[in-house]
This record gives sequence, structure tokens and C-alpha cells, in this order.
Amino acid sequence: MKKIFSCLLVTVLMALSFAGCSRGGEGEVAVFYFTYSDAYISNVRSALDKYLDEADIDYNDYDANGNQSSQTDQIDVAVSKGATGLIVNVVDTGSNDAASTIVEKARAADIPLVFFNRSVDESVVSSYEKCVFVGTDYELAGHMQGEMIGKYLLENYDAVDINKDGKISYVLFKGQEGNMEAIARTKYAVEDCNALLNEAGKPKLQFYDEANVNSYLVDQDGLWSASSATNYMSTILAQFSESNKNMVELVIANNDEMALGAVSALEAAGYNKKGSKTIPVFGVDATDAAKEAIKNGKMAGTIKQDAEAMADVISKLMTNLRNNEEKFKGINKENIIGSWRVNIPYAAYTKEQ
Amino acid sequence: MSENNVILKMDNIEKVFPGVKALDNVSLKVKAGTVHALMGENGAGKSTLMKCLFGVYRKDAGKIFLFNKEVDFKNSAEALSGGIAMVHQELNQALKRNVMDNMWLGRFPKVSKWLPFTSEKKMQEQTREIFKDLGLNIDPKTVMSRLSVSQRQMVEIAKAISYDAKIIVFDEPTSSLNEKEVEHLFRIIDMLKKRGCGIIYISHKMEEILRISDEVTVMRDGKHIATKPAKELTMNEIIKLMVGRELTNRYPEKAHSIGDVLLEVDNLSSVYNNLNGVSFKAREGEILGIAGLDGSGRTELLENLFGLSTRKSGTIFLRGKQISNKNPRDSIKNGFALLTEERRATGIFGILSIMENTVVSSLKSVKKGPFISKRKSRENTDWCINSLRIKTPSREVKIRNLSGGNQQKVILGRWLLTDPTVLLLDESTRGIDVGAKYEIYQLILNLAAKGKTVIMVSSEMPELLGVCDRILVMSGGKLAGQVDAKTATQEDIMTLAAKYV
Amino acid sequence: MSDKNEAARVGKLSKFKTLNPSDKRRYVTDLLFNNAMFIIIAIAIIYIAIRVPAFLSLSSVVNIISLTAARMPIALGIAGAIVLTGTDISAGRCVGLTACVAASLLQITGYSKKMFPDLDPLPLWSVLLIVMAIGAVVGLVNGFFVAKFKLHPFIVTLSTQLILFGSVLMYLMIGSNNGQTLSGLDSSYTDFVRGTLFKIGTVAVPNYVLYSAILTAIIWVIWNKTEFGKNMFAVGSNEEAANVSGVNVFRTIILVFVLAGIMYGITGFIEGARIASCSANTGLNYESDAIAACVIGGVSFVGGTGKISGIVTGVFLLQIIFVGLNFLSVSANMLYIIKGLIILVACAIDMRKYLARK
Repeated sequence: MKKIFSCLLVTVLMALSFAGCSRGGEGEVAVFYFTYSDAYISNVRSALDKYLDEADIDYNDYDANGNQSSQTDQIDVAVSKGATGLIVNVVDTGSNDAASTIVEKARAADIPLVFFNRSVDESVVSSYEKCVFVGTDYELAGHMQGEMIGKYLLENYDAVDINKDGKISYVLFKGQEGNMEAIARTKYAVEDCNALLNEAGKPKLQFYDEANVNSYLVDQDGLWSASSATNYMSTILAQFSESNKNMVELVIANNDEMALGAVSALEAAGYNKKGSKTIPVFGVDATDAAKEAIKNGKMAGTIKQDAEAMADVISKLMTNLRNNEEKFKGINKENIIGSWRVNIPYAAYTKEQ
Repeated sequence: MSENNVILKMDNIEKVFPGVKALDNVSLKVKAGTVHALMGENGAGKSTLMKCLFGVYRKDAGKIFLFNKEVDFKNSAEALSGGIAMVHQELNQALKRNVMDNMWLGRFPKVSKWLPFTSEKKMQEQTREIFKDLGLNIDPKTVMSRLSVSQRQMVEIAKAISYDAKIIVFDEPTSSLNEKEVEHLFRIIDMLKKRGCGIIYISHKMEEILRISDEVTVMRDGKHIATKPAKELTMNEIIKLMVGRELTNRYPEKAHSIGDVLLEVDNLSSVYNNLNGVSFKAREGEILGIAGLDGSGRTELLENLFGLSTRKSGTIFLRGKQISNKNPRDSIKNGFALLTEERRATGIFGILSIMENTVVSSLKSVKKGPFISKRKSRENTDWCINSLRIKTPSREVKIRNLSGGNQQKVILGRWLLTDPTVLLLDESTRGIDVGAKYEIYQLILNLAAKGKTVIMVSSEMPELLGVCDRILVMSGGKLAGQVDAKTATQEDIMTLAAKYV
Repeated sequence: MSDKNEAARVGKLSKFKTLNPSDKRRYVTDLLFNNAMFIIIAIAIIYIAIRVPAFLSLSSVVNIISLTAARMPIALGIAGAIVLTGTDISAGRCVGLTACVAASLLQITGYSKKMFPDLDPLPLWSVLLIVMAIGAVVGLVNGFFVAKFKLHPFIVTLSTQLILFGSVLMYLMIGSNNGQTLSGLDSSYTDFVRGTLFKIGTVAVPNYVLYSAILTAIIWVIWNKTEFGKNMFAVGSNEEAANVSGVNVFRTIILVFVLAGIMYGITGFIEGARIASCSANTGLNYESDAIAACVIGGVSFVGGTGKISGIVTGVFLLQIIFVGLNFLSVSANMLYIIKGLIILVACAIDMRKYLARK
């Protein structure tokens, strides 16, 4: 018994000493991520780690694991530890409360605060002069996805319209209920595409299941996960198929993981493989796996969020704010919105690129 | 009898539990083909000694020789394969599994050497064979929980015998058996003796011990007191050795008077169990016994009366006023209290202290505003400990560390604190030693003297005849008749008990 | 055995006629409640099929069976822990880790974002063994702490769940992978799992249905025909009784968790190819569905009871709910509520069987 306990003790000590190796201490910048599990956020994290290293800023990373209350607790800990700057990827975007609480904490400690990625309201950011938001115009991703889909359809209309009824039947996978990005992407992807189709005199997109009043399917765990899309897609394909003349002809997903999940179900049903029919699948994020899928023709397109550029801007802003310099020094003027926000541009990513 | 007849020798065994020396230099010799009775009050160390032998506990000092070879079993598996089997006092059975799964647990027969799957067929055949040998009529495929307690006990006995062990320990094997089944067990033990097995027999029942044992070892407070041939001993001598003082009478004197009718029960029947149209009356200050075979509806009658089982029909009047007793809460409000049959399962809260166990049914009376008053709880508990003479180092001791008799006293105390008018006792002295039994009888008589009505169920007829005023006899779920305890004999009761079988 | 049951049934029937009306009613309600699971499933299927006839089309049935097959192994593993009156909430994360490991070792040579760029895809059997071994180690740790320190499995597996999540995150940061989703799987792997087992008309049945069926059969044999299986039930029913009967309780508990871990490893292997896109989120919350399925199917938390057929029924019912509600185009909000209610009702009805009535 004693032996086991001493072994355990040694293990715990070793784990602690590993943990002790991470950089940090006083004067560090604390970086709070919404979740480590997200592929895009992981990209931002490794890029930001690199830029902060280059700028010679000490920093410490925190993972909220999708939970706002643990993020708020982590911020309290970091501030009490003497953090000299906060970089926050806020979890809760549904209301201003979480973000304004964080602003108050930064103001009380008189340290700069940079929000990034997940959207924060202008009124919140402007309420504190040392606060900036770096994001993408979250509505823009949806708009661009809609535009990309519209263009793709106009070029390949007849090939996409498998049952030749003149209409495109589609399915849309929403990542999460109550998330601003998910809501905007769900809305604008379809609206903007319809606008383009309308101009060209084509009918609107039609949701594959008319009885579904939402016109989307949502990941019930709110994880934007591949497996939810796989399970949905294989269930859809059991009911809607070419032989029933009601095949789903277009797949729109809020992110690339769900797009890839749908691709997996399509492949299992004999689509999107070499030498078989391809149902166009669109995602957002341009993760490495998605780019690879686009290269192989399994996906039709995605919207690239430039993680490197975002990390670069965050690091510059933090350096400027900590040195009490003009906060937008060295940042492309085109992307600056008012005095509160920097937008990182999106780009459509398709096979041609 | 020569020394080489001895198959088991335990020499100077010691075992210390935190704060207690449970075994102090105890020795024991068991000869082939004999029954060696091990006696002593609860807590004397009999079970502990056997658990050291069986490898459940590790002994701290001493040696054990089996066939003159030193052995030291580290767990039950080693003991079993070393030739020692044990019928445990607590029915240790996997209740959700069937009889044969329990029989062969730990040594399931395989289909063959090359196909190491368990063989249901062999299990069933071998179980049937053993049951046939022992004259048991139980289907090996019945789920254990469907059997009565006595059937489960017989299965446990059959299992111990099936190990083909040289030493078989019976720890209170008859506590839940009726007379007929006890006879059956004795025939089995005779058969084992003829096979040359050494049998260690632990029991509180004097009559049994004197009947079947060849030698008797008495223990007290973890020490070896005496070992004598059974022929040379009388009941009183054994009791004297066990309790260390004379105990002239097994039942206390009655000094209570019987008053008016307090309780009237009319045509009581159950939905889910065997109880049909039972009617009776009980008077103030009366001790009413309920006899009957196991499964005759004795326990069911008490449970129905207490609102623990679903009532199909029947009315209950208390002092001429109809009451419903539709659930235990209701019954307690009406002044009823029930000491349940299976103390361990439905009586005690093992990991809670004596105090918590004592005041749990009368929390309202120890409240001070909305909170429980610790002071009042202590007072009430101390009153119980003193007036019921509960042997315990303190009121903070966990109840599971007390001996069975003392646990039973705590539960009795729990109900006395609710100040009941009708006390229902179900096998209140089961597994309790003579000294403690006497004290519980005295308590029952004192309650009756205070005008309370006591209804007690017991399998021990001498006990009913010795303590009660009147005895109702149940048979097959019906009331078979009643006898006056002063004039009736055991035969009278048995005749009635077999009426509807 | 069937003869005897038959005789009993005939006996019951003639006895039934002699019962008085209130007893008859009770007998019938008991009969209904005791078979409630099958009645619920039948009603659900009939209702959905009337509303959406395509629900019973061949392709839909194959889809439901495939989804059931995908969720089977993890449920089979967790069931063992539940039989021991425990639980295992590390299952989902264990599936996630093993899925990621399997995927990373089986990426196409030349895939530009390969986690191990210089590694050719390993032979399938070796990867399967590796993930089974990982699962077994997780199970060993769970089992050891449960058996040795008598900790409640909930606490132990809560801890290992966290440890596993950290491990997945670290694993995904290896090389140039950078926390990215693992994709670009070798076709030998995806074909082995998702490939066509056989076709009924034009509808393909995927291979993993077969694997799942084999695993179910193996676990059935282990549960019902081996000493270990019988010991497991005995320990779950009464640990002390098993101990005094000479059963090695320590080893039994550890083996139950190791076996569960191996099943999670296999689930991870299958899930990795089925989803073909593995991230740190893979497997999250799988255990809650698996536990629900077991409990619905009568593997009671009371311990010592449970049947493989019950687990299959439970998993099947959950998938019918998922697919059926989608076919009925029920909104996601309602879906949560309906699923919750069905689990609650199904479990309550099932527990009713075990309640000793007085």
C-alpha cells in the first residue's frame, strides 16, 4: 500500500514539475481561448504563440473548454497573478454581459485587453480606451459563402441539379444554437446565394425536407462536430436518394469539420469519390483537412479565415498597447474600423487556388 | 481418542482490531468424524476465529495445522481448495443470480479441458445430484431472491458440503430454519460425520448443541474458557461458562396485567403476498405471540398491519376507532412500531453512529426550532443506552461494530423513543446470545407492564411459550388458530402450523 | 428449457381464467409493463412509418442498423461497468483518443498535412492492436483504482476522462499537425470499415455492421459462457459473497474495465474511419448515450443484472428515436425534450420489473 502511494506521489510531482515548465509569472500576457478542441482556434493559437515569442512577450495560454464561467474564473486568476495584458477569445457571444465583465476586470487592473475571433459588441469595446477587437466580420463569412455557392451553382447548374427539376435541393448543418456566427452563416449563405440565383433567373434553393420549418439541422451537442453531420447525412441519404428522385444536391455546413463529416457519409453512400457523382459540399474555416479535401475534389469550397494574419495583428496591438504607443501602429489602414476594431479579411477558397 | 485423530489444530491464535483484542491466545482442536461446538456470547470471538481460519482475516499470531501440516490461508479461495468450507452467518449470496450460479461461484465447471467455457449443463446436473443427495427440493435455475430465507440457507449449506471439504464450519446455520428443516440439517451433519469430516458448529441454541455435538468449546471476551465433552455438560453449565455468572432462568418472571381490547383486526388480506382474511384482537398489556412455519404469513401479517405491504382488504380498529395504517408513516403516527426481521438489511444504518440510529424515528421530539438539537439527541440516546443496558464504548460508535444483541437493543430503543402503543416485533431475538435474549425478554415484559401491546413473531417455540400470554398460529397465509401460552405445548402449535400446508 | 416454459405458460393461462377481475387486470397491466420496451419500439415504428412511409424503406432500415452497429461496442463495454454497480464516463474520451491515434497512423502516404510525414500507413491489424492496447491500459488504470482503493468508478473515470482529454489535445499537437482535424485516411482503412459488406438491391451494408455483430457475439459468450462473465455478475450482485466463494474480486473488477477499454479502442478504430475526420471533439458525450442505452435495456445500476439482448434493444431504441424524429422533421429543441422523456419513461418502466412489491 505504502509503495503504491509513494509511486502515486512521485507521478503527481512529476506532472506538477512538467506543468511548472510552462512560461509565465509576473508581467506576462494572459491568452484565453474559447476551446482547444477547435481546429481553427488551434491554428490561431500556434500562430499567436509564435508571434508573441518573436515579440519577446511572456505569455500563458488558458483553455476555457467552451465554458464561460471557467473562462471568467481563469481571468480572475491571471489578473491576480499580475498579468500585464489580456487576450480573450470570449466564450459567450449571445449577450454583452460576459464581455463587459471582462472589460471591467481589465479596467480595474488598468491593463490592455484584446478580444479576438468571437464577436464582441462595439459599445462594450469602446467603453474602455485600452480595448480593441480583432475579428472577422462574422456576417461576412456567411455572405462570402453564399456568394461562392451562388457562383458555383451558376457555373455548374445542370450538373448539380441531378433530378433535373430545375431546382437545387440542399441541406444545411448548423454548428450550434444561439451562436452569432452560426446564425449569420446559416442565414446569409442561403440568402446571398438565392440573390445571385434570382438575378440569373433561377429558382431559389429548396431545403430538402419541406416539413422542417427551421431549414437547418443543428449539432445537438453544440460542438460543430463531424460526427453529428455524418449521422444526419447518412439518415438523410436513407430517405432522399437519386432513385427516389429527391436526392440532396447541395451541402452547406457552418464549418469545415461538419462539411467533412457530411463528405464521409456521402462517400459511404458512393458519392464524392473518384469516378463517382459529386455532391458539392461547402464549409467555412479552410482547415488543412478541408483544403486537402478540396484538392481531391471531395469538397467544393470553403471560406478561409487567415489565422496567421489574425495572430500577427493581435500581437502588434498588444505590443503597442503595452508600450503606450498609438494602438493601430503598423496595421493596414483598410482593415481598421473606427477606433475599436480590426477586421481580418476572409477569402473564398476553392480548387482553383 | 488419540492425538492423531485430530485433523485441525489451531494454536494460540491472536487477532487485534484497532482498540480491541478480538482473539487472545485461543486454541482449538477438531477430531475427524466429530461435531465440535463453539459457543459464547455475541462478540466472544467465535466468528473472528473462524474468519482467521478461512482466510477472510489475517491472524496476528499463532499457528494453524491441518493434518499436522502448517497452513496459512491468505484468502477464501486457498482455504476452500485446502479443504475447509464454511456456511457463513450472514447469507452471502448473489441474490440476482440463480441457484446453480451461486453453487458453483468461484469454481464453475468447464465444458472440457479444451473448451474453457462454463457448462450450464454440468452445473445443472451436478447441482441436482447434490440436492438429491441432501434431499433438497429446489430448482437449480430459480433466481436466488425468489427463494425463502430458509431455502437460501439450505442452498448455502449444500454449497459448503459440495466442496468435499474435510473441515466444515457452520456459523449459526439454523437461525432461519424451522424445526423440520433443522432435523433435515442434523441428518446431513450425521452423514458428514460418517464420512469422517470434522465439523465446527456455532450456535446459540442450547438444545441443538447438546443434541448433536461431541465436544464443546466455550469462549468469552476473545479468550478460550473451556473445552469439554458434550456428555459431561448441562445447559446451565454452558450458560455459566458463557456469561461467567449463573443464569437460573431462561425467561424472566411475568408481572403484567392484561386490560381492555386495544387493537381489533378484521379480515386482513394482502395483494402481493400470501395473507388471507386474518382477524384477531389484542388487549392492553398483552404479549401476543405469532407462530408458524417460514412462509406461513407471520411476517406478512406484521408488514400488512404496519402498512408496509399493499392491503387488499381488512379493517383495523385502535381503541374502537378505525385507523388506516396505509403506510409506515401513517402507522407510526397511530402509535405503531415495527422491528423488522432482517436486522442488517432493514433495521440498522450500519455506517451511522448509535446516536443517529437511535433518534432517527423520533427526530421531531429532538427538534429545537427547525434544527436538530444535539443535546436532546444525546440525552435521548443516553437514556436508551442506560435503560436498555446497551454495551458500547460511546454513543458515537458506528452501529455495525456492535454485536447483534446490542444492535437489536438500539433498534428497540429507537422505537421506544416514539412511545408506541402497539409494538410489532419480528424475530427480535434471532442470532442473539442467551444473556442478551434474557434482557430483551425483560424489556418486552416491562413494556407490557406499562400497558403496551406487544405482538411478537418468532420461530422459536420455547421463546413464545415462555414470554407470551397468547399465541396465534399462522398456516398457509391464514390464521390456523390460537393457544394459551400457559397451557399449550410445542406439539399443539406444530399441529396448528401444519393445518393449511 | 423451452418445454418447461411452455408448460408454465399453459399453466399460467388456465390459472388466469380462474383469477377474479381485479387480479386479471393486474396480470394484464403487468404483462404490458414487463414488455413495455418492445411495445414502445413497436408503437414508435408504426407511428413514424404511417407519417413517413420512407422510414421503413430498405435504405432507411439499413441506416438505422448501421447507426446501431456504430454505437454497439461502446455500449457493450460500459455495460460491464454498470453490472458492477459502477459506470464509466471516460468512455467517450477514450474513443476520441483511440480514433485520433488510429487515424494518425493510417493517413495516406504523401498527404501534405500528415501527422507523421515519414510514416507509411501501418498494417491495419497492428493499428487495431495498438488502439486496443491503449484502451486496455485506460481500462487497467480505471479498474486498478476501483478495485484497489474501492473508489467509486464515477470518480475514477471522471479523473481519467480529464487525463484522456489532455492527452488527446497533446497528441493532436504532435509534429506539424497543430491541433488540426486528422483527415486524409488511407483507403485500406476506410474500405475496411466503411466498405460494402454486401448489397441488398442497391443499398450497401457497411462492413462495420459485421464487426459489431461479431463483437456482440463475443461479449455474449464472455458474459454467459465463461467463468469471468459469471464472476462479473456475482461481484456485481454481492461482492462479499463472491469473495468468500473464492472469486478473485480484484482481478474480476480490473478485467471488466480492461475489457471495456478494449471495446472503446475498437469503437475508436471504427469511428475514426466512419467519420473520417477526427478532432479533439470526437467521442465527446458518447458515453451518455451508451449509458442511457444500457439502462433502457435493463442493465440496472442496482448491479448484477443485464442481458446482451437488452443492450442491443436499448441502443436500437435510441437510434430509432434519433432517426425517427429526423424523419418527422421535429425541431431540435423538441428533440432534446422527447429524447429525455423517452429515456426517463423507459428506465422507469424497466425498473418496475425489479421493484420488489409488497
